[in-house]
Amino acid sequence: MSEKKKNTGYLSGKEIRAIAKENAKVMKRLEAYKYRKAEESEFLSEMRDPDNILEIDDLHTYFFTEQGVVKAVNGVSFDVPRNATVGVVGESGCGKSVTSMSVMRLLQGPQGQIYSGAIRFQSKDYKRDEKGKPIGTETEDKVYDIAKMPIREIYRIRGKQIAMIFQEPMTSLNPVFTIGQQLDEVTLIHTPDATKEMAKARSIEMLNLVGIAMPERVYNAFPHELSGGMRQRVMISMALAANPRLIIADEPTTALDVTIQAQILDLLRDLKTKIDGSIMLITHDLGIIAEMADYVVVMYAGRVIEKGTVDEIFHDPRHPYTIGLQKSKPTLDSGDEALFNIPGNVPNPINMPDHCYFKERCDRACEKCSGAYPEMIQVSPTHYVSCWLYEEGNENG
Amino acid sequence: MAEEKIVAPVYDDEAEQAKFLEERRRQIEEDMKKPFDPEAILEVRHLRKAFPLKKTLTGKVTQELIAVDDVSFKLMPGETLGIVGESGCGKTTMGRAILKLHQPSGGQIIFNGEDITAYKSPQMREIRKQMQIIFQDPYSSLPPRSTVGGILSEPVEVHNIVPKDQVKAYVLDLMDKCGLRDYYYERYPHEFSGGQRQRICIARALSVNPKLVICDEPVSALDVSIQAQIINLLKDLQRSLNLTYIFISHDLSVVKFISDKIGIMYLGSMVEFGNKKEIFENPLHPYTQALFSAIPYPDPDVKMNRIVLNGDIPSPANPPKGCRFHTRCPHAKEICKHVVPTYKEYEDGHFAACHLLEEE
Amino acid sequence: MEERKTPAVESTAESELPLDRQVRLMSPTRMVVRRFFRSKLSLVGLAMVVGLFLFSFVGPLLYTQWGEIQLDESGKTEYAVSETTYTVDGVEYTVRQTTEKSLKDNFLAPPSAEHILGTDNEGYDIFVRLMYGGRISLTVSFIAVFVITVLGVLLGGVAGYFGGWVDNLIMRVCDVLICLPGVPILLIISTLLDASDIDAKYRIYLLMIYLTLFSWPGTARLVRGQILSLREQEYMVAAEAMGYSTSRKIFKHLVPNVMPQLIVQMTLSLGSMILYEATLSYLNLGVKAPYAAWGTMINIISTNQDILQNHLNVWVPAGICIVIAVLGFNFVGDGLRDALDPKARR
Repeated sequence: MSEKKKNTGYLSGKEIRAIAKENAKVMKRLEAYKYRKAEESEFLSEMRDPDNILEIDDLHTYFFTEQGVVKAVNGVSFDVPRNATVGVVGESGCGKSVTSMSVMRLLQGPQGQIYSGAIRFQSKDYKRDEKGKPIGTETEDKVYDIAKMPIREIYRIRGKQIAMIFQEPMTSLNPVFTIGQQLDEVTLIHTPDATKEMAKARSIEMLNLVGIAMPERVYNAFPHELSGGMRQRVMISMALAANPRLIIADEPTTALDVTIQAQILDLLRDLKTKIDGSIMLITHDLGIIAEMADYVVVMYAGRVIEKGTVDEIFHDPRHPYTIGLQKSKPTLDSGDEALFNIPGNVPNPINMPDHCYFKERCDRACEKCSGAYPEMIQVSPTHYVSCWLYEEGNENG
Repeated sequence: MAEEKIVAPVYDDEAEQAKFLEERRRQIEEDMKKPFDPEAILEVRHLRKAFPLKKTLTGKVTQELIAVDDVSFKLMPGETLGIVGESGCGKTTMGRAILKLHQPSGGQIIFNGEDITAYKSPQMREIRKQMQIIFQDPYSSLPPRSTVGGILSEPVEVHNIVPKDQVKAYVLDLMDKCGLRDYYYERYPHEFSGGQRQRICIARALSVNPKLVICDEPVSALDVSIQAQIINLLKDLQRSLNLTYIFISHDLSVVKFISDKIGIMYLGSMVEFGNKKEIFENPLHPYTQALFSAIPYPDPDVKMNRIVLNGDIPSPANPPKGCRFHTRCPHAKEICKHVVPTYKEYEDGHFAACHLLEEE
Repeated sequence: MEERKTPAVESTAESELPLDRQVRLMSPTRMVVRRFFRSKLSLVGLAMVVGLFLFSFVGPLLYTQWGEIQLDESGKTEYAVSETTYTVDGVEYTVRQTTEKSLKDNFLAPPSAEHILGTDNEGYDIFVRLMYGGRISLTVSFIAVFVITVLGVLLGGVAGYFGGWVDNLIMRVCDVLICLPGVPILLIISTLLDASDIDAKYRIYLLMIYLTLFSWPGTARLVRGQILSLREQEYMVAAEAMGYSTSRKIFKHLVPNVMPQLIVQMTLSLGSMILYEATLSYLNLGVKAPYAAWGTMINIISTNQDILQNHLNVWVPAGICIVIAVLGFNFVGDGLRDALDPKARR
């Protein structure tokens, strides 16, 4: 019986109960932490480099599922400098979206939780009294640790200082309100003493900014009257309406057709010069990254495996995964010979091994790869790679 | 197939339109009477598929969505035809109409020298052994409550491909060919990642030894590294089993990699068709040119001279008059707004439909 | 199970295996069971339903002190002594006659060791009749639900799969049936039944069958809707492309995927059938005396004000049984829905 059960490859009832018990304990603690009341001083922090707008430091975001703990983000660190575009690239399940959800604190509780780590954000906000009401229009600079913020304080940042553009423009707009109503709301919520007229003027201005030809008409339209590309433009204008310091674009063009994607990419590139903010661009398409980003973060199975400037990543990729990824995408001028492919599949994020997650798929795996997970190794002032091949003294690197 | 309807708006002037329609109808009828090409595995002539949008109470169709309008091509055994187009261009409908999953509203489908257009389901069941389809979404195209073994052995048993006692060995061999491990046999689809599921779908399609496989965006839902695996697998299988593919995709670079011939579709009609080399070296239609330039290139130093098309793709339920592309075409002229361009052979085996070319 | 190695040993032993072999998930069955039992409510519901079943079907086998239609005749016997005196020829005769005035039933007895819940106004043991009433109620509901499901699946399936005029016809029949007022028609039917000579024991079954004729449209609509949405799923298109026959497509591919929703619907309608049965019996349309049903047992109060006020033990237990049954089936149904439908929100 025991032998037979084992071979099915399924969890036994006993194990499931043990997992559930363990999860419940941790989830309860983290939920309580999330909903606690806290003084502002508790989540104030200091930036490592004042030129950064966002610093993610050893972030761990876990999902406590019935089958075990999914370490969706497992020790991710990277910075978003001021007025720069950082591209986060990786395959599905690599944790790139969960990272952005963690920054926005949009994780679905109680399963999804920030387990540890810091997300420091350079905030520039109106001065507020103890109750959080803004006093006048004076602004002040503060650094918040988003990971430590209780969820009730997150309104200081979410939607206002960090805005998000989602992948699915079809479902991210509320179908029963007009575009104008939804756009106005952003301004009304985030600007103190805003009037309806001000909000409308701002909305029209935003629609103009994203290149919508007849803003008044779109202002009064319902989402279903617009095409996918138009809706994505509206979503972008909505994100811009509160003048955010950081825009997170999560696969903004994946759901769009190629010719429409080209329009939206053009728009995003234009906007970068017009607005005073940074963009964190999440995508799986290396082509988009090459076109848009200044810095690139490559993620694999919940970890950052390589980061650097866009030139370094595309002209001097170091990690075997980054190299493989670039080779496996057919381009218009690639030949007819078989495509390079990375064998195997992205590992299941439950019960991750201790060694490098890419070892099984890597064509340059060495003995050391079976050991501990490789540290980040600096190969240039801005270029880091997490691979034993580039350890100091390693000849292969 | 009772009557051949051509409702595409052509001329503003009614009399002229009637004349044109008459001419067109006569031409189509003539074409359809031509003998079949004995070498081609698939010949599609003036294929048309319209979905009713509005009906009167008596069932008379008052408004139609013309998903595929007058598409013709020929495919030789062992070739791969790539079909490229944006959403709503009718590429999926065309694939399904060829398989007779949608009954075509007009035109002819000649498979292996047989006109299968009017075949009913018992006759089609036999044909389906030879034509298969692989879908885009590997999540919804596998039945959730069967094991991999069950999914793969069912078609083998139904069509009596091998004797009953050899089914399992046959299926395991097939799984091996498609890069699936033998212990997957007992597992359920939900335990697999997208790439593995797509392998299962490929194995299922190949289980009946088809000659023609229609791949409907088989890699669009997959990650880049997995895409490459699946494309290589498809290519290997084509070589070893001498398969013919129709590869439908919105991604030009993937299509270029796998195809011998390429067809570009826009709003239901084929705007350009030809050998891969000619299409890529000398794209004739402005839409093809724009498509090529829209693809982001994975090198930060290459700054593309991009043709950005204005506006959105019109709704296929209400396509523009004249050339369907004229609303977005950077070179559109007056004639484009009124007259549908004819689909003509400009070079050997290189077809296109554009007024600009006719002038030259 | 005891031989299971510690995880550390296991991982070294299996480290040669590909990564996907190391990850162990839950089997589909276990996932369903787990999701079902995660909700305390469905557990309570299951306990209620199982309890009632044991009570109704096993109970009478163990508790044999009284039968369903066995009167407790241990009531007091009244003796009347009559004396007649008459004189014949000056002699006085006295004839003393003792009449045993009929054996009186032990009615409306309070709960005691003899009768756990007392007796009703006729002298039947309430506890035993609760068990037999449960048998009737549960059997009747199961039969009704079974017939409803068979009809619903057949007609809904045909309508959904073939569409066109068949669909139109079946759905219009459904509409008409849903419009018909159920209770008045049942009243008419019951009057007809009264006029004809049908054994009291069987009329409830007949009534339930009529009832099912009015209830199948709900199931049919559910099945049709499910099939319409499943038919658009790509795996059904794939089955079509594989050249499977129509019957294979329906019975091997469609029906198993409709099953979860169907099981939920069946469980939920079990509850409502019990309510229906109780209503019918209460309206004196169902099981007739001397046979017991929960509804009939409550019906006693409609004729006797005294029992309503002073003898709660006569009718409250039957009411509690009905509530337990309906709640139990609904809890189980809800639990099953959460467990079987992975998309349902937790």
